[in-house]
Amino acid sequence: MMVRTTGLSKSYGPHVALSDVDIEVPRGSVYGLVGPNGAGKTTLLMILAGLRHPTGGQVRLEAPPRRVALLPDTPQFDPWLTGFEVVSLAAHLSEARSPDVGRMLADAGLSDAAQRRVGGYSRGMLQRLGIAATMVGQPELLLLDEPASALDPAGRREVLDLIAGLRGEATVVFSSHILGDVHEVCDTVGVMRAGTLLYQGTLENLLVGRAVPAYRVHLRSPAGPVVEALRRQEWVTAVAEPLPRRLHIKVRSLADAERQLAALLGESGALVVSLTPDAADLEDVFLELTS
Amino acid sequence: MRAMSLWRLEWLRLLRTHRLLAVVLVYLFFGLTGPLTVRYLENLLGALGTGGAQVQFPTPTPADGIAQFTRNASQIGLLVVVLVAAAALAFDSRREMAVFLRSRITKVYKIVLTAYAMSAAAAVSGFALGMLAAWYETAVLLGSVAVADMLLGTLLGAVFLAFAVAVVALSAAVARGTLATAGTSLGILLTMAIVAGLGGQVTGRWMPTTLSGATADLMLAGRPGDYLPATVVTLVATVACLAGAVALTRRREL
Repeated sequence: MMVRTTGLSKSYGPHVALSDVDIEVPRGSVYGLVGPNGAGKTTLLMILAGLRHPTGGQVRLEAPPRRVALLPDTPQFDPWLTGFEVVSLAAHLSEARSPDVGRMLADAGLSDAAQRRVGGYSRGMLQRLGIAATMVGQPELLLLDEPASALDPAGRREVLDLIAGLRGEATVVFSSHILGDVHEVCDTVGVMRAGTLLYQGTLENLLVGRAVPAYRVHLRSPAGPVVEALRRQEWVTAVAEPLPRRLHIKVRSLADAERQLAALLGESGALVVSLTPDAADLEDVFLELTS
Repeated sequence: MRAMSLWRLEWLRLLRTHRLLAVVLVYLFFGLTGPLTVRYLENLLGALGTGGAQVQFPTPTPADGIAQFTRNASQIGLLVVVLVAAAALAFDSRREMAVFLRSRITKVYKIVLTAYAMSAAAAVSGFALGMLAAWYETAVLLGSVAVADMLLGTLLGAVFLAFAVAVVALSAAVARGTLATAGTSLGILLTMAIVAGLGGQVTGRWMPTTLSGATADLMLAGRPGDYLPATVVTLVATVACLAGAVALTRRREL
C-alpha cells in the first residue's frame, strides 16, 4: 500500500474534521475522494502531505516526503514570477533529476505564456501551471485537491487524461465534487461525510452493492393495463410512471424479473420499445450515502 | 533562462517588487538630507520667521550630522526594513502560496534562513549606502569624520539591523499575516527602545537598540568597548530569534 491510515483523527478545537479514518491506497492506483463540502477531504490531503498534524491515529506512506506532491484546489504563486520560473523553482525544490521544464509547460499548454508573469494568468492557467509544477518533481504520490475545478471542458479533459495516464506510474489521490470525473478515472473511491469515511472500495462494489433491482420500460401503447397487471405480481415491489408510457418497475430480484417480466408485458398486449435493467449510478449512491 | 533556487526567489522578490529600491532610497535620502538639515537648520528657521524671538543654535558638529542620519534611519528606515522583511518572512500568510513551498521543502529552516539572509542583506546594504552618503555630506558640510568611528558605527548598526530582521522572522512564526508580523515586530523593537531609554545607561549598555546610534556616540566620546555588552546580547538574541522562528514554523500547520 502506498498510503495507509489507521484511526486517523483531526480536531480543530471542538470541531472534529476527521474521525477514525482508515484509508488504503494501493501503489499505482488512482483513488477518488468524494464528499460534500466540509467532509474532511482537504484536511485528509493536507495531513498526507505533512502540512497538518493528526490529532490521533497513524499515517504510513511508502514514498519519501520529497516525492509526495500536493496540488491545492486554487494554486497560487508569487505574481511577479514567470511561469517558467515557477516550474523551474518547483523542480529545484523537489530535487528533480534532469527536469524538463519546457516540456512540462508545453504539456500544460503554457509554452506561449512561459515568460509572462503569473499575476496575469487566468484561474485555469494557474491550475495548469500548478499541475506542471507538480509533475516536474516526478512524484511517487500525487495529492490533487479538486484539480479540474477551475478548468474549461477541454482543460478538464486533459487533466483527466493525464491522471488516467499516471495509473501504474504514480499513485494518485484526488478529491472531486464532479462524480463523473471520479467514475471515469478512479479504480477505488472513498466516500466521506462530516469527517467520516462512509465507504471505501472499488466503484463496481459500491454501485452493485447499492443497486436497487429495477427495470425501465418504454412503451408505445398506453401504460394503464400493464401497470395494473404489474401491481398484481408479488415479485413487483413498486411501479411508477414518471413520464407518459415510461415505467420504472422495482422488483424483488433481478432473477424474478428476468424470468417473468417479458412474458407479462406480452400477455398484457403492450407494445414494447425498450426494456433495460436500471443500474444505480454514482450520483444516486453518493446522495444516498451522504444525505 | 536561469534555473531557480530559493536564493534567486528571494532576490527576485526584492528586485521585482521594488522593495530593495525602497530600502536603498529611504536610507540614501536620510543620508543625504540628515547632515544638510543640521547644517542649515538655523538658516531654515530664520527664513521661516520665529515671530521676533531669536533662536540660538550651537555650531553643528560632524557628530550632529551623523546623529541626524542615524535617528532617521532608526525610525523611518527601520519601519521600511521591517515591512520589507515581513513581506518575505510571512510566507505562510497565504495558504495556497505557502503550500507551494512547504509541500516541497521538508526542512523549514531553508525557507526561513534564506528569506532572513536576503532581507537582512538588503537592510544592511541600504543602511551602509545611507551611512556612506551621510559621511560624504558631513565631511563636505560639517567637517571630517574619523574612518574608524564610521566603520565601527556602520558595523554596529548592521548588527542591530540583522537583529531587527531576526525579530521579524520570529514574529512571522507567531503571527500569520504580513501586517500582523510587521506590527508585532515594531511593537517588540519599540518596547526595547523604551526599556533602554527608561533604564538609563546601565540597562542601555545591554540593549540591542543602543547599537543603532553608535556612530555618533563613538565620534563624541564613546569607546568601542562600551558597545561590547549590547553587541553580545544582540548576536545571541539574533540566533535565539532565528532558532525560535524555525522551531515555531516547523510546528505550524497550514
